Amino acid sequence: MRQDQKAEIAVVVIALSLLTVCWCSGASAASDIDPATDKAPVVIPQAVEGTSLRRIQDQGVLRWGIDPAGGAPYAMPDPREPQRLIGFEIELVERLCQYIGVRSEPVAADWLALIDNMRAGRTDLVMNGLEVSPERAEVVAFTLPYYRYGQQLTIRADDEGKVRSLDDLAGKRVSVLNGSAAVDVLERAGFAAELIVQYDDSLAPYVELKNGRVDASLAESIIAAYYAASMPELYSVPRMFSFGDYAGAVRKGEPELLDAINAALSRMKENGDLGRTYQRWGVWTDDQQHVGISRGPEVAKIDLASARSATSLNWPLIMRELATATATTIVLTGISMPLAVLFGLVLALMERSPRRWLEWTARIYIQVIRGTPLLVQIFLVYYTLPVIGEALGFGDALVWPAFAVGILCLAGNYAAYEAEIHRAGLDAVPRGQREAALSLGMTPWQALRFVELPQSFRIILPPIINDLVAMIKDTSLVYVIGVRELTAVALGLGKARLIVPQMLVVAAGFYLVVSVIADAIGKRIEAGLQRRGTPKVTLPPAH
Amino acid sequence: MTSSAIDEQVVLEVQGLTKRWANGQQVLNGIDLTVTKADVFVILGSNGSGKSTFLRCLNLLEDYQEGRVLLGGEEVSRGRPADHVPNKGEQTAATRLRRRIGMVFQQFNLFPHVDVLRNVMMGPLHVLKQPRAQAAETARAALNKVGLADRADCLPGELSGGQQQRVAIARAIAMSPELMLFDEPTSALDPVLRREVFGVIRDLVFRDGNTMLLVTHDLDFAREVADRIIFMDAGRIALSGTPDEIFASDHPLVRRFVSS
Repeated sequence: MRQDQKAEIAVVVIALSLLTVCWCSGASAASDIDPATDKAPVVIPQAVEGTSLRRIQDQGVLRWGIDPAGGAPYAMPDPREPQRLIGFEIELVERLCQYIGVRSEPVAADWLALIDNMRAGRTDLVMNGLEVSPERAEVVAFTLPYYRYGQQLTIRADDEGKVRSLDDLAGKRVSVLNGSAAVDVLERAGFAAELIVQYDDSLAPYVELKNGRVDASLAESIIAAYYAASMPELYSVPRMFSFGDYAGAVRKGEPELLDAINAALSRMKENGDLGRTYQRWGVWTDDQQHVGISRGPEVAKIDLASARSATSLNWPLIMRELATATATTIVLTGISMPLAVLFGLVLALMERSPRRWLEWTARIYIQVIRGTPLLVQIFLVYYTLPVIGEALGFGDALVWPAFAVGILCLAGNYAAYEAEIHRAGLDAVPRGQREAALSLGMTPWQALRFVELPQSFRIILPPIINDLVAMIKDTSLVYVIGVRELTAVALGLGKARLIVPQMLVVAAGFYLVVSVIADAIGKRIEAGLQRRGTPKVTLPPAH
Repeated sequence: MTSSAIDEQVVLEVQGLTKRWANGQQVLNGIDLTVTKADVFVILGSNGSGKSTFLRCLNLLEDYQEGRVLLGGEEVSRGRPADHVPNKGEQTAATRLRRRIGMVFQQFNLFPHVDVLRNVMMGPLHVLKQPRAQAAETARAALNKVGLADRADCLPGELSGGQQQRVAIARAIAMSPELMLFDEPTSALDPVLRREVFGVIRDLVFRDGNTMLLVTHDLDFAREVADRIIFMDAGRIALSGTPDEIFASDHPLVRRFVSS
């Protein structure tokens, strides 16, 4: 307690002195923004050939990583126009890019994967509530800090007055955002691992607090102000502690890019650009002056709450978004499943080959793929494919977009299951069929193509339709690498409006409808094929 | 059998064909055989004597370990070690050889997913690379020979066993093979349907002069169509001769067979 008080006094003293400095300098540093176009001037000169900054300047676009699922006010889909992201960090990087003279292109990914994604070369910058820490400084180069945050404790309103600090929570369960600085704070305060309950997004910790599964929630002040404040059942203890800084991160060994970003950031800190943005988004605190940010001109706050309530029950818009996302899900399945069936056939034929090495390659592939979770495979492929490409000397050739990686993983995973189905199907075609075909003088390939496969296909169609329906739902897993399919969009819409459970129910309904339709179409094709020809042989489903 | 020079042309020559199963058991033990054009050889023997395996070795549905086979005077296959994996060239040679030999199976083995016409067209279309219209013409001509031109649109499953076997024969003769192999073509049929299939084979023998090897258990039919009868026992040719010689013989194998 005593130490805290001392620290507080120190903070106030430093704040006051900085305020004076800023006020003095702030008077002279006018904003660079051209009021007519609302654009900042380009201040970064062209970099030398061969640097990443030069590449970014030549392409005219800075790709940077952000997790829209993390939500407001950092970044979230615009409730009125969900294809577009809004948030104070979106606005910050847009302005930063104007100073560099390029366009800002946010690249969505799961927050925990933002840094890997950048190191894999899919982005050149991460700027999404990344707390400066020595561990992270080992793997990335941090820019100048652009925001000073403090931890804020939230409790149920009934407990107001009973809980004032972490000391009052000994032995209680506290909810936090997965991987955030709050985890470290709790660990250092002596909380056992099982008492620290981590969730994947900013909203869930507070919902769990409201529902009584935990007794408190610890998060950075911005999050507490935005999410906890919207729930009247909750109360946030005003005093902040464990201050820290957000900074951008770039790959190590790219000093030109780092210097350019820092130069632009410094300018924005001094001339009030940054302060203005923070005020607009309601995240301004006087602590910001500790990291050299001047307050900037007074501006009206963005009324997010009213934007949210005005659009929260805009069902036509929500439905249109979900329908678009459903189309993405259908396209993903529609491309991945035929590929899986084709690749599965190749694997099945390899398994039947008299050549041992082909047989074993296929068997090992099938065992490995079936023996590991699809989610892990998606992550692994997404982050190691670029590394492998680099190592093999293909350069950027294997830096595939998330959608293509999603298709590769779904097709590659399901192929292992389809291979087993193909194998059973081909085994179910009597041997005499192949012998009759061969004795006509057909090549083994012709016998397969004209005699065995057409018969096997009739047999395996039902289990393949079964897997097709399973895949429609498994496409939801690729949201972890940022594909805007049905689950990702439903979560995003729900978080922006604080109606996640409702959105998930609606999304589940969409999945159900698509699955039922796919199944019905499959049954029709089956009936059409069975009508003439082959006696029906059924196989147990492979899944 | 006439004795003009052209009829003496050798179609098939088998020299010392020997086959062992993977476990080392000997199934065929040094078979020698010469078949000239328009010859009909009937192979008799008890179950397990190696008759079917012998036919299957001739068109390489089974491999064999020693000896060689000549078709039209040209070597078309030779013995290989049991664990030998055929290379590309050997596979192509096997495919070419099978093109020249027609085979009819005990279980018919018609393709159930396509109709009768397409079953018979399959070879001319994909193997002989005839244009579709011509392949259909070839197929109809073959179906005509077995008296089933009017069933061209049926699926195999809609035909009787006897009709199915006649379609299978049509499928083989549509390729105009130099040699036909019949592997117990009537064993899966009742006596009425059997007669129907024998009728078709009889036409191939007496009307069309086909060269063939026929495995059967039907002695009366053997006697009627065979130029030569071969008795197989334990993987060897135990006895061989004209039908009259065979049925007059008092070899214990023949006596046991005829009396059963």
